[in-house]
Amino acid sequence: MKAVTKTGHTGSKTIQTGKGLGRVFTMRNVSLAALVIYFSVFMIYPIFKAFAGSMHDWNPLIGTYKWVGFDNFRLVLSDGLFWKSIGNTAVFCLVSVVFRIVLGLGLALLLSSKLVKAKDTLRGLFYMPTITPMVAVAFVWVWMFDPQFGMIDRVLGLDINWLKDPNWALPAVIIMTIWKDFGYAVVLYLGALMSLPRSVYEAAAIDGANAWQTFWKITLPLLKPMTLFIVITSLISYLQAYVQIMIMTGGGPGTQTYTISYLIFDEAFQKYKFGTASAMSVLLFLMTGILTILMFKASGDMNMEES
Amino acid sequence: MRARKMWSWILTGMLFILALITIIPFVWMFISSFAPNSEIVKVSGGIFPKPTTLSNYRGIQEKFDFLRLFLNSLFVSSFKTVVIIYTSAALGYVFSKMRFRGRNLIFGIVLSTMMVPWAVTIIPQYEMMTKFGWLDTYKALLAPGLVNAFGVFLFRQSIGGIPDEIVEAAKLDGAGDAVIFHRIILPMSRNSISALAIFTFLWNWEDYLWPFLMITDEKKQLLSVGLKMFSGRYGTDYGGLFAATSIAIIPVLVVYVVFQKQFIAGVASGSGK
Repeated sequence: MKAVTKTGHTGSKTIQTGKGLGRVFTMRNVSLAALVIYFSVFMIYPIFKAFAGSMHDWNPLIGTYKWVGFDNFRLVLSDGLFWKSIGNTAVFCLVSVVFRIVLGLGLALLLSSKLVKAKDTLRGLFYMPTITPMVAVAFVWVWMFDPQFGMIDRVLGLDINWLKDPNWALPAVIIMTIWKDFGYAVVLYLGALMSLPRSVYEAAAIDGANAWQTFWKITLPLLKPMTLFIVITSLISYLQAYVQIMIMTGGGPGTQTYTISYLIFDEAFQKYKFGTASAMSVLLFLMTGILTILMFKASGDMNMEES
Repeated sequence: MRARKMWSWILTGMLFILALITIIPFVWMFISSFAPNSEIVKVSGGIFPKPTTLSNYRGIQEKFDFLRLFLNSLFVSSFKTVVIIYTSAALGYVFSKMRFRGRNLIFGIVLSTMMVPWAVTIIPQYEMMTKFGWLDTYKALLAPGLVNAFGVFLFRQSIGGIPDEIVEAAKLDGAGDAVIFHRIILPMSRNSISALAIFTFLWNWEDYLWPFLMITDEKKQLLSVGLKMFSGRYGTDYGGLFAATSIAIIPVLVVYVVFQKQFIAGVASGSGK
């Protein structure tokens, strides 16, 4: 089957370009060759280099690059801060993803209701935090959380030194992240809701299903591919989040808000320990891969009949 | 009918209240950017400082060459956005409408790079740029990241939705792939172009670590790194910081407003399947 269509394709090509050279430099060949070369240089090679680097004592400042086997991994895995960062990352990811899904789906359902007016404006307002640069809004939130002048304590009448309090620093960063990101899920769910088939809803209405049943039995299952997409892309991006931590807490107070990506940033570009940083990044890579595969597996098992 | 109208008002009103709560940090930042520092750090008084002055905006240009950083960022982000849209569309076309051996394998590899954390590739890329001698040049900022797996994925999905007959008909008329791509596929991909424009412009505009590592010359630096430097050096100048951030978010908002009409449809076609 493949071979047939392939010859069919090159056949039409011959008619059109004629010359031998034109057959080699087709759009397909040129773009694929460019892609392979480009990816090899900027993606594949760096990945291999990271794996190799994780086996070396590697410091670019003094120019060391010495084979040490699995020593870096042993060092990292026995480091308390590494495990603490993993724990923080797990909390950070879980809470942020759950809120992103719940808020995103809830608001998207409300916004898709026929009763709501001025949808474009509302959507734009909800999406505004998502399309503003993280560095910029992180600074604003440092100020929002300020115990003396900040808006949050004043409006809510609280007395919490959010970013300096060991118990509240991580929640503060998570609150800011949820605020920044829920718009992404709103927009994606709105897009998915728009493309749901009308006929299913009409059939449900004829069968006398109420709004609650329609939501649980029809809308939610039909949205499953989108939910999976949002959960996976969110997980991948939250595992890599560091900018808000760098700006809002610098990992502190103490090491209370270290996440795995902030730890790698710190290890690599503030301490210049490239070897151990590479070992950590390899571990992060493995975790991301395993989590992604697990998500696909879990959703596939639950969801055979729909897809 | 009347009850329906009332519900419509209540629901819309409720959502507007939620939306206003969402954007309060922006409102607050914007108002504060017109207030003197003494007003911002006042413990007593209202929640919003009184906007009375333009000196914060004048200050950022004098203290650090804000306009320059702004234009640098604008150039780098625009350049990369345009190139990424073009490469994504071309590869999306190749992967969705052309058949060849290893198509799914290559596409699978491209797609799987989406889950490679920046932390994995950034150290080797940093070293690579050092070896190339590209540190402190825009080559280092522009060369990596001109192909985007997410973009290729988005376009493969949307171009896959264009009927094969259209491509076949054009071929019968003697059009080559490049012609079909530029004359037919690209104009039909307006939704995906809009969605990707919004995403890539933002990603590049807010990118912090790469320019931070690559550029040391302050004149060449990008705005996101500049904001951090600004806050460190003038630690107490919140008015200036708010003025700078207020301007820093304008370009992304403009890009969103320009492309938003097609944006939702683009997102729906790209990731719904």
